[in-house]
Amino acid sequence: MKLTTTQLTLCALLTAMALALSYLENLFPLALAIPIPGVKLGLANVVTLFALFALGPGEALLILLARCFLGSLFAGNVNALLFSLLGGLCAMGTMILLARRRGLSVYGVSVGGAAAHNCGQIAAAVLTLGSRAPLYYLPVLLAVSLLTGGLTGLAAACLFRGLRHTGLMNG
Amino acid sequence: MTTRPSPKLRPTWADALVILSVAALAMALAVFQWRGGDSGGALTAVVSVDGTEADRFAPEELLEQPRTYTSNGYTLTVTYGVDYEDPSRNALPPSGKSGLRVAFSDCPTQDCVRTGTISRGGQSIVCLPARIIVRLEGGPGDPAEVDAVLG
Repeated sequence: MKLTTTQLTLCALLTAMALALSYLENLFPLALAIPIPGVKLGLANVVTLFALFALGPGEALLILLARCFLGSLFAGNVNALLFSLLGGLCAMGTMILLARRRGLSVYGVSVGGAAAHNCGQIAAAVLTLGSRAPLYYLPVLLAVSLLTGGLTGLAAACLFRGLRHTGLMNG
Repeated sequence: MTTRPSPKLRPTWADALVILSVAALAMALAVFQWRGGDSGGALTAVVSVDGTEADRFAPEELLEQPRTYTSNGYTLTVTYGVDYEDPSRNALPPSGKSGLRVAFSDCPTQDCVRTGTISRGGQSIVCLPARIIVRLEGGPGDPAEVDAVLG
């Protein structure tokens, strides 16, 4: 993949924003209300959604990988890398497939991505712990993903509306 | 950059299909995972540390003394409804249910502590940082089964 300077700069900016949003969502402790490992808003998914529609799947994947590696590096937690990578890649694959369906809006793509992210994280937990016990949480996580996916979809829709005049959305 | 079609910004009927699919998957998994106890044998707690079974006991055994497990640099204290950290508090857990819970953990996420009390076969408490799982097995298969008759 060959990136222009503008594309590279945009990817770097979006990666920084995704990392900042990942940190910011710690201020909204959703896990206090729903005490299950892995429950979070997934605000960084707004950036992934934007990159997918505005830049394309390749660039969105680059931003996701950079966010996962840098995020676990900054957190000083290499164990978290497997969780964020599996969750992120499952979400990305699902959103790439769903984004090709003409009938779907950003809401449908976002909800599908959030659900796939949770499936990926549970798969990482099953692999890490060597037990099927984490599957017990999947139904609740999937139900929560309807809410969090809808919220990130709303945030992305607002972002797209706000950026229409910039021409970013049309390449 | 290539020219891309702008995404739809208002919810569509196709979105409803995605939402229904996720909801149906959640419900199917809930029925499969939460269908009650393993029906057979007494209720037993199984503690796995780093993928290996480390302990197996009847939950009531913890009434006398809590058990502590250490793994991956973190320590968990498992109790049977009694708050050993603060004996002045009510003997039953905040939910009022009797069962196992992680009363103390020095892990950074504290998800295991917040999970609360587990009391039925099939339920589990997972501590990802410590890689410890407390799981209940066995117990009554029929949730409507009478626990005890008094008087």
